[in-house]
Amino acid sequence: MSILNLFVIVPVLTVFAILFTKDFKGARVVSAIGMGIQLLLAAYLIFAYLDLRAIGITDEMVFTQDILWFPMLNIHYAIGVDGIAVSMIALTAIVVFAGVFASWEVDNLAREFFISLILLATGVFGFFISLDLFTMFLFYEIAVIPMYLLIGIWGSGPKEYSAMKLTLMLMGGSALLLVGLLGLYFYSAPDGGPLTFNILEIAKVHIPVEMQRLFFPFLFVGFGVLGALFPFHTWSPDGHASAPTAVSMLHAGVLMKLGGYGCFRVAMFLLPEAANEMAWIFIILTTISVVYGAFGAIWQKDLKYINAYSSVSHCGLVLFALLMMNETAMDGAILQMISHGLMTALFFALIGMIYGRTHTRMIDQMGGLMKVIPFLSVVYVIAGLASLGLPGLSGFVAEMTIFVGAFQHPDIFHRAATIIAISSIVITAVYILRVVGILLLGPVKNTDYNLLTDARWYERLSTITLLVAIAGIGMFPFWLSDTIMNSLGPIVSRLLAVV
Amino acid sequence: MRHEVLLLAVIILILLMEIFVGKANRKAIIPVSIGLFLLSTLAGFLPAESGQLFGDMYRTNGLIVSMKNILNIGVLIVMLLSAEWLRKEENLDKVSEYYLIMLSTLVGMFYMISSGDFLMFYLGLELASIPMAALAAYDKFRNSSAEAGIKFIFSSALSSGVLLYGLSMIYASTGSIYFTEVAAHMGEQPLQVLGFIFFLAGMGFKISLVPFHFWTADVYEGAPISVTSYLSVISKGAAIFIFSIVLFSVFPMLEPLWQELLYVLAILTMTLANLFAVRQNNIKRFLAFSSIAQAGFILLGIMGGPHLGLTTVVYFILVYVFTNLGAFGVAISISDKTGKENINDYNGLYKTNPMLSLTMMLALFSLAGIPPVAGFFGKFFLFTSAASKGYYILVLIAVLNATISLYYYLRVVKAMFIEKSDHPIAPFRSSLSTRMALALCVAGTFAVGFISWIYEYLYDMTYLLFIF
Amino acid sequence: MDFLYTIWIPLIPFLLFLLIGLTGMYFKPIVSGIVGTVGLGVITLLSFITAYQYFFVDGMVDGVYQKIVAGSYTWLAFTDTLHIDMGVMLDPIAVMMLLVVSIVSFMVHIYSLGYMKGEKGFSRFYAFLSLFTFSMLGLVVATNIFQMYIFWELVGVSSFLLIGFYYDKPSAVAASKKAFIVTRFADFGFLVGLLLLSYITGTFDFKTLTSPEGIETIRGAGLTFMGASAVTWAMLLIFMGGAGKSAMFPLHIWLPDAMEGPTPVSALIHAATMVVAGVYLVARLFPVFIMVTPESLNVIAYIGGFTSLFAAVIACTQFDIKRVLAFSTLSQIGYMMLALGVSGYGEHGLGFTASMFHLSTHAMFKALLFLGAGAIIHAVHSNYMYEMGGLRKYLPITHLTFLIACLTIAGVPPLSGFWSKDEILAAAWHHDKLLFFIEFAVAGLTAFYMFRLYFSVFWGKETHYHHTPHESPLTMTIPLMLLAVASIFAGFIPFGEFVSSDGIPHHGEIHMNIAVPSVAIGLLGILVALLMYRRETTVPDRIAKALGGFYRTVYHKFYIDEVYLFVTKKIIFNLISRPVAWFDRHLVDGTMNKVAWVVEFSSYRTRQLQSGQLQHYAVFFVAGVLVLVLTFAYFLF
Repeated sequence: MSILNLFVIVPVLTVFAILFTKDFKGARVVSAIGMGIQLLLAAYLIFAYLDLRAIGITDEMVFTQDILWFPMLNIHYAIGVDGIAVSMIALTAIVVFAGVFASWEVDNLAREFFISLILLATGVFGFFISLDLFTMFLFYEIAVIPMYLLIGIWGSGPKEYSAMKLTLMLMGGSALLLVGLLGLYFYSAPDGGPLTFNILEIAKVHIPVEMQRLFFPFLFVGFGVLGALFPFHTWSPDGHASAPTAVSMLHAGVLMKLGGYGCFRVAMFLLPEAANEMAWIFIILTTISVVYGAFGAIWQKDLKYINAYSSVSHCGLVLFALLMMNETAMDGAILQMISHGLMTALFFALIGMIYGRTHTRMIDQMGGLMKVIPFLSVVYVIAGLASLGLPGLSGFVAEMTIFVGAFQHPDIFHRAATIIAISSIVITAVYILRVVGILLLGPVKNTDYNLLTDARWYERLSTITLLVAIAGIGMFPFWLSDTIMNSLGPIVSRLLAVV
Repeated sequence: MRHEVLLLAVIILILLMEIFVGKANRKAIIPVSIGLFLLSTLAGFLPAESGQLFGDMYRTNGLIVSMKNILNIGVLIVMLLSAEWLRKEENLDKVSEYYLIMLSTLVGMFYMISSGDFLMFYLGLELASIPMAALAAYDKFRNSSAEAGIKFIFSSALSSGVLLYGLSMIYASTGSIYFTEVAAHMGEQPLQVLGFIFFLAGMGFKISLVPFHFWTADVYEGAPISVTSYLSVISKGAAIFIFSIVLFSVFPMLEPLWQELLYVLAILTMTLANLFAVRQNNIKRFLAFSSIAQAGFILLGIMGGPHLGLTTVVYFILVYVFTNLGAFGVAISISDKTGKENINDYNGLYKTNPMLSLTMMLALFSLAGIPPVAGFFGKFFLFTSAASKGYYILVLIAVLNATISLYYYLRVVKAMFIEKSDHPIAPFRSSLSTRMALALCVAGTFAVGFISWIYEYLYDMTYLLFIF
Repeated sequence: MDFLYTIWIPLIPFLLFLLIGLTGMYFKPIVSGIVGTVGLGVITLLSFITAYQYFFVDGMVDGVYQKIVAGSYTWLAFTDTLHIDMGVMLDPIAVMMLLVVSIVSFMVHIYSLGYMKGEKGFSRFYAFLSLFTFSMLGLVVATNIFQMYIFWELVGVSSFLLIGFYYDKPSAVAASKKAFIVTRFADFGFLVGLLLLSYITGTFDFKTLTSPEGIETIRGAGLTFMGASAVTWAMLLIFMGGAGKSAMFPLHIWLPDAMEGPTPVSALIHAATMVVAGVYLVARLFPVFIMVTPESLNVIAYIGGFTSLFAAVIACTQFDIKRVLAFSTLSQIGYMMLALGVSGYGEHGLGFTASMFHLSTHAMFKALLFLGAGAIIHAVHSNYMYEMGGLRKYLPITHLTFLIACLTIAGVPPLSGFWSKDEILAAAWHHDKLLFFIEFAVAGLTAFYMFRLYFSVFWGKETHYHHTPHESPLTMTIPLMLLAVASIFAGFIPFGEFVSSDGIPHHGEIHMNIAVPSVAIGLLGILVALLMYRRETTVPDRIAKALGGFYRTVYHKFYIDEVYLFVTKKIIFNLISRPVAWFDRHLVDGTMNKVAWVVEFSSYRTRQLQSGQLQHYAVFFVAGVLVLVLTFAYFLF
């Protein structure tokens, strides 16, 4: 019995425990405990993993476990992790933990809220540990559906519309995904062996190229929708804007990463030829998302929209880096996923806390918050600096790795795309400083803001957790980057083998 | 033969009760008949041997037995659900009619499923459909109910006519009505193909495929809601069973042809049914169209061939029994208590009746194919079996349709969980039988998915398709 | 003996930053000030030790000053050849910069104890100062170009924080934003440039880059793009970064506004240290420039020359004393850039030496000027010369030190400014006469506007102050005096002995043919200023009127800011992001909604099929059968 099962079991148990709580106080305490345990588990997993590698275990996946589920279709419950999955799990644990504390004040149907939140988390954890495409897909949809209720019930603004739009677009994405997965399945044994959904098994066979051409777009776009790939990103601004704080945190911080993760773990890893052939199309699209998202963010006035668009830009960078298809760039992509996950979660947490005080998210209605709520404002500034890639914070590490990796392509097309992508660091600076300038600095705009109270203990806990992670990665990136780099080997070699 | 005999025994006993039980305690009929049927259902699970009777007019084997068991479970749930409604004054005096008619249609279905020739098949079919009209018109003082009966009888007559016409052509061209011989002599001759198409149309009516589905909505809406549930789950399930059996065992020669026809019909059915369902506001019509759409999805399964396909179809029907009856169950108990049958009556239901809302949500998610409930597995396997024949485009269309269907299922969820209402349905506690039924549905909805040996068992059974 | 201890030079201020930043609010503000200042004292001491050890003990190996890597560890590995190291590299210019930065920073720390007294956020100020010192020192001792870029960004951000120190003052906020974004834009060039360079050479390491074999590999890289070789592009892009930080035209616009920050900050960051980082960057990569793409050096030379003239002209028309000083800084940095641009290599490397020489002397006297200006502002609570006059009797020490500084910058022998400027002019003369004459003119202008400032502040009209100005406290005057001493005697350092383009000491001599006229024009400038501003006269206004439009244009800094405003506000905001936002909402998102609408609509249409009429249903039924039959028949026959 692999330790990984706990990552699914603990949340489920937490859900059941919540069922037995009486009121929102009980519910939130129980969830906090459950997710705290999850966080410790994640920490333990990291060290256990590093130990395994230290003693020279070189298997592609470790902590594996494989249970035959539907023998006739050869569907397994197969789990296992490599360095990438481990880091994503750690990211998820951190964000969920912070999310629980960020939603400490939810009291309307709190039990249902925390249950859906943790169910969502369960889906995400399950997705990251799965090695079998069937279970992976199952967890993927488990992760997507609670979003509807979370936004629809606890959201704000045009919540029904946003929730429906988000759910349907993501489900449309998973529709494409399903076709792709079935395609993989039925071509997983060209030499007449048993068909399989197991990623590692499929990675061994060579799928005929014309079939790859057929299925790669399905898989890549299918995951890309969740990764906010232009032009399928429009669920993101509305969804984030309407979602309650913790949901935005989880969604932008973790769920959107499922997209990027799937893109390389499934689409690119299993269909290398097609990936190499079609990369250019998606490089164009992602380059657009990077700049487009950034420019889109400049004009917005609603804090959540600003952050949603910047997420489009940053997640675009993730896919962009993946498509560069060399070790450095992909390493950068993973780093970017993690760093953006932490940053954007922090942003949404702060936005939620500010909104909880000022009851508006329009930057032009606020101003000079630095004077009245210094803690939150300072953290916001730091988050902003991280997002515009200040050295010493996680964003810089990720972006630089991506750019250096992307620069390994000498041809003019990749160069141009890369330079356009790099230009986003300027635009990012523009919109971040615009927000900081209008929102936090300057004289206090609204006199009754002087009565606002600064962050409470749970808010401080939530933000500091994320902040520590961001700074930690930013100052000591080596071990993380190293862990990821070591696990990227098989994927990259498979991608490069075919060119 | 056991299922039919037991069922007849139950019917006779109920008839005797009808005669001997006095006005005072007619209520007692309800639990007793349910108990009797429960016994026969359980007995149905006892091991049975394959075999044939009447010179291969009647055949049975493990596959057919499990099909009948599935139908039995469904009927049991329907009986539990309808108990509360039957206890009402206006229904009390005709309680036993309800059971008698329903069970006799069930007998018809059983014979239809295990028929070995077209005569037995047709007998079963008619026995299964004609009493249904009476059932649809059960509360005869309501116009819509009477109308439903009429509509059903007329259109089913039409369809039976077409079907019979087709059968006669087949007989004319092959010189036999026995499945085995027909299969032997079946070729690509125009007459045979024509016959087959007519047969297909007739079955399309029973399964309510577009464009043979028009009766469905009106009848479902008009009929008493528990009858609707019976129509939409049991009789449709039976029809699909026999349809797939016949396709695989009688018309294997025409496979390329009917693959293409099913391809078209599946797309039509899913798409149009979804489009209809999007704007329905009456829960019965809504569920009617959703069940039509489900039929479209089931066709994908049938296209997967005699093993993977047939298994998946049977498995899906099992899932469908639990989930769809779960949805109907909630609708039934609400309309029993309040008489409300519109989706927007459900606004704010979660605040007042959380358990009902949760059950409904589970059922709807299962219908939409959302994990972790059984519907996900059912749908996934349906798509898998279609993909196994390489129909990726069809699968894509189907999955997109599933997304559309998610939209209207979520509409109901939205009504129950998100919408606020000034005067929502008052909190109530539904009767024991209803709660048992719903519990059964929920349990099934979860169990059937995760317990993989059910699927395995059915898969082994499909190898018996040609063995009697 | 090795230099391992030097890693503490950047580390200490970082620790100070964390200490003050995290715990500052729990103590009395002054504590943070003391702690920071003492820490800086230690660093300054360490720098002196380092300098002594490097220059006199074991920096030189067989007649050449080596690049010594005191310590270095891999911070982030991209590929096995490309990795960012964090470390300390010592060579003549690094050590020189260590001295300059630590001295000026130390002075500013002491000075601020008095100047910032009672300011809200006193300890925040010291935390930021430490952060800046850390970043600047890290930049100076960088072992590789990427480490330099990292600290480059960090100085950028600390400058942003310090300019915006009075964050409730909108103008300060705007200025800090402007500074950050403009330099960020330049850094975009720097980043692309260094990526390109690292792609060509396969290394970030300065030592490898500037070593002969490194140069060879770079020469080897043949690929060209739009006429120029890739290396030229790379180096020019890198220079773009330098130009941004050093506020070279046309990226200079942020520096004058940066004066919104507290005056000590202007002295430290925007006069002495950070703004010369660009010069330092070019000097760092000088071997690559000179040996691979000399043509790009010409670009640098002309940009430097133009900026110095341009800024000097503007400086003559400004009234805010800090802005006058800011433009003079621009002009002096122009000098340094130009010196690098006109320099040769080895024994022809006079320009290089001169540039570095001027960098250090300028650091001293410009810091002195700013701190003096700070003292003045502190005393009269105004930035504008026309609200000042006759301050010499109120502020004796300030007056004296300020005068010394003015004489120094005017290049009056034997003060330090004279020596460094003389060398620059000499280098320019040997390289390009036009540039020489530009600089020659600028020398005159410099003397003029500095003494215009001096006279109108300390002499000029008798102004009545509502409370009499008084000399600043010792904490402020001591740094003034120390810096004055430095500006007087720094010129006597035989600079060429220590700092040269190739590490080999060269003996510098004084070029009389250049020195005499340059001093002459300097004195001329002073004389003119004396006549115009010694007493209150109407001469300046009449001249201004006479010049009319030209004067106004200059006064408005040639309207460059307006141009930028137009670009950012009109083009970026209104012509790009607004349409993008619209496009996203209405087209991309609109399409998605349209899909949903289509489904809705078609469902509305299809619903009408369900008429409820039995006969219709029958028709549909039969029609369906017929269609099936016909299709089949079609396929059959």
